[in-house]
Amino acid sequence: MAGDDPRNGGSSHGHSNHRHVAKKPKLSQSISESEIRAEFSHHAEGVARINNGSFGSCPASVQSAHRDWQLRFLRQPDEFYFNILKDGILRSRTLIKALINADDVEEVSLVDNATTAAAIVLQQVSRGFAESRFKPGDTVVMLHCAFQAVKKSIQAYVTPAGGSVIEVELPFPVSSKEEIIDAFKLGLDRGKRDGRTVRLAIIDHITSMPSVLLPVKDLVRVCREEGVERVFVDAAHAIGSVNVDVKEIGADFYVSNLHKWFFCPPSVAFLYCRKVDFSNDMHHPVVSHEYGNGLPIESAWIGTRDYSSQLVVPSAVEFVERFEGGVEGIMRWNHEEVVKMGKMLVESWGTNLGSPQEMCASMIMVGLPSRLLISSTEDASKLRSYIREHHGVEVPIHYQAPKEEGEGPRDKDGGRITGYARISHQVYNTAEDYYKFRDAVTELVEKNFTCRLIL
Amino acid sequence: MLRRLVILVPKFTIRRPLSPASPNLVNPCHGRSMASPDGNHRHPETNGEAKPPAPKKQKLSTSITDSEIQSEFSHHDASVARINNGSFGSCPQSIISAQQRWQLRFLRQPDSFYFNDLKAGILESREFIRSLINADDVSEVSIVDNATTAAAVVLQQIAWGFTEGRFQKGDVAVMLHYAYGAVKKSMEAYVTRAGGRVVEVQLPFPVSSKEEIITEFRRALERGKENGQRIRLAVIDHVTSMPSVVIPVKELVKICREEDVDQVFVDAAHGIGCVDVDVKEIGADFYTSNLHKWFFSPPSVAFLYCRRSAKLSDLHHPVVSHEYGNGLAIESAWIGTRDYSAQLVVPSVLEFVNRFEGGIEGIKKRNHEQVVRMGEMLAKSWGTQLGCPPDMCSSMVMIGLPWCLGITSERDTLKLRVHLRDRFAVEVPIYYRAPKEGEVDPVTGYARISHQVYNKVEDYERFRDAINKLVGDKFTCASLSA
Repeated sequence: MAGDDPRNGGSSHGHSNHRHVAKKPKLSQSISESEIRAEFSHHAEGVARINNGSFGSCPASVQSAHRDWQLRFLRQPDEFYFNILKDGILRSRTLIKALINADDVEEVSLVDNATTAAAIVLQQVSRGFAESRFKPGDTVVMLHCAFQAVKKSIQAYVTPAGGSVIEVELPFPVSSKEEIIDAFKLGLDRGKRDGRTVRLAIIDHITSMPSVLLPVKDLVRVCREEGVERVFVDAAHAIGSVNVDVKEIGADFYVSNLHKWFFCPPSVAFLYCRKVDFSNDMHHPVVSHEYGNGLPIESAWIGTRDYSSQLVVPSAVEFVERFEGGVEGIMRWNHEEVVKMGKMLVESWGTNLGSPQEMCASMIMVGLPSRLLISSTEDASKLRSYIREHHGVEVPIHYQAPKEEGEGPRDKDGGRITGYARISHQVYNTAEDYYKFRDAVTELVEKNFTCRLIL
Repeated sequence: MLRRLVILVPKFTIRRPLSPASPNLVNPCHGRSMASPDGNHRHPETNGEAKPPAPKKQKLSTSITDSEIQSEFSHHDASVARINNGSFGSCPQSIISAQQRWQLRFLRQPDSFYFNDLKAGILESREFIRSLINADDVSEVSIVDNATTAAAVVLQQIAWGFTEGRFQKGDVAVMLHYAYGAVKKSMEAYVTRAGGRVVEVQLPFPVSSKEEIITEFRRALERGKENGQRIRLAVIDHVTSMPSVVIPVKELVKICREEDVDQVFVDAAHGIGCVDVDVKEIGADFYTSNLHKWFFSPPSVAFLYCRRSAKLSDLHHPVVSHEYGNGLAIESAWIGTRDYSAQLVVPSVLEFVNRFEGGIEGIKKRNHEQVVRMGEMLAKSWGTQLGCPPDMCSSMVMIGLPWCLGITSERDTLKLRVHLRDRFAVEVPIYYRAPKEGEVDPVTGYARISHQVYNKVEDYERFRDAINKLVGDKFTCASLSA
């Protein structure tokens, strides 16, 4: 079950290695290495797939269960709808409730993805303005590095309804959670200026680009202290990469995708809504005949669709339990390996990591050599495509604009580090994947390759 | 033997379409006159731009055979007389395989798929649909999950109209009384809640002519405009769900224009593959149809057609991604990480339907003829009648159930439906029609039978015999447990 993860914040203890040394799974009893390879044998050969963070991954046995569900519907859909679907969804929700330590299964809804959850939460905020429960100009606070879909959702639902938006810039590279907490407090203050009420704060649990594991429990506490009405944690990456205890974290809304780090097929996410004793006015934007029966029931039927990725959650749980230590064991292993590989890369290139290891889970930001001359978001994107096409490595790259003249991290050549690769580690990865990346970048630097050369 | 009052129903003939080779099938279900066939269903290029070829009906030397059809649907539960294609549709094996190939392509290398394959695949599907429905431009065609989602898209912009003060409180949205349950709830969520007033068109059922519908529709528009309010939206089903009747949409759209209705949204969940869909002919602002019902697609994929106009930029998918603001079609093509494979198989579906003699037109024609024939067979056997004339039916028909079954509520219809499934392995939805005052031995239950290419006469004979057995056993719904 979910244990308290100090990396989620909320503790004044030191952050040094409190975790056990990650053990590789006991091969005699758990899933073996060759079984793991077989489960992911559908992955394209010749690609060093070190980007589990973007689109996740799904083992063959879960895919097979997925197809079974699809076929069950096609075989006799009426019977499936009337006799099977609701129970199946409820079973998935119940498993998730236990995983995340929610009080009540009524607090757990299944939706397609975090993007959909954002629409649900922000539509509710929009109605608050439209129905004059909020004053014009009341604020929604989000992080500057919030996922682009969340930013656009705010643009779609908050601004036209009369709300104002505050973006909080978090430092990157970052060296301690205190830097994050301080920056966040400043942002909240701006939100409350001129007597405005902060109606909603949206906080990532693990930011996307650049990726940092935030002290989300501390940030939620700060929100409560500062009178923020509601807190929404966008934890797209969390489940399966960091411990999730929604009661400990204490947010009002919490969403995470199961198809990223929890081995489910695309796509399934849960949206946790803390139980309140008034109607929380949460609705799925696609309205079916279940409208008004509560968000979990509304989300469980939004018209004829393929619900099989939501129904397959028990099979994903079975899969993780084949590993030594279950999902906890997997998370430990992924974290240890990604940190090890990250350190290997920065040592090889003479660069730095974007955050300390206790501020990352299964992903880490690795500085790229300054000589690559990554000078824009476009450069980062072009470099990514180039590395995919010419070196068979799949890895997203983040452009970090230098703050001020002379400031900022420098690499062994004395140049400014403006590009960071986000490497992921999932159970199918091997060290060779990262050596391939190491060698690709080394080769580019040796050949005096720069982003200016890419058309 | 039970004697009952048989209401004589005038014999309606199915108006035959023009020659099978002609694409100009005049479908009386649209309420168009026989006299003047409309223009070519597939438009010549406009603006001098080359358009991809419209799907041709290939005259194959051998069309798909009966045994090939049975094989394509061999995954259906063979023990069930599945005469309810209307609810959840059906998908042939070759399309399931095509879908699985798309799914695997994503799982194999999802980043590459996202950057290099997905957009082109969605665009190709949209182009095929554009051609099928005779839309002018592919920008008018968006792909969404289902008609329920399309309703959310259209109604959300109505809600904004009220919120932003462009509409006055009390301005009206009109819908049919038989509108689908989800649409009614969507009206509540997006229109009523935002301050609008909803007016329902009371439609008669059983119904004997499209004129009855047109009259009621006009009445509803009048009710909408009393107190000097504007009608901001009319939502019109092309084929109602329960009870199922083909609505004369072209006529009704014309009336809406005459009566100054702002926008018209045709909910044609049962449209494509079931009735003729020519969006320019029909002339609505918005038109949605599910492809997974009658167009052999896997769950789930639908299109939402939005006529090019100034309003197009106001439409948004409710799930907002980074594509927000790039137009509804582009927004809908990426609403976060999901399985888009059902949307990507549309070209394969075209290939499938073109294996049939006459392509989709041939399929529609044969489904319609056969479902009417089966309906008349059942009505004759039970001594009941159809709920509407054959030319107001599509691939579905409503047939009265014997009054002695004692269907007294909607609950009874659900119980009877379950009983038919569990005891007789017949899958068929039943509609409850409240009796009017003074009716003697009223027919209060109507079964909605569907016909799709996989159905056999035995399916309907089993249903016939099941009902006759129940009647013979003096069965009533009251005997079924709660």
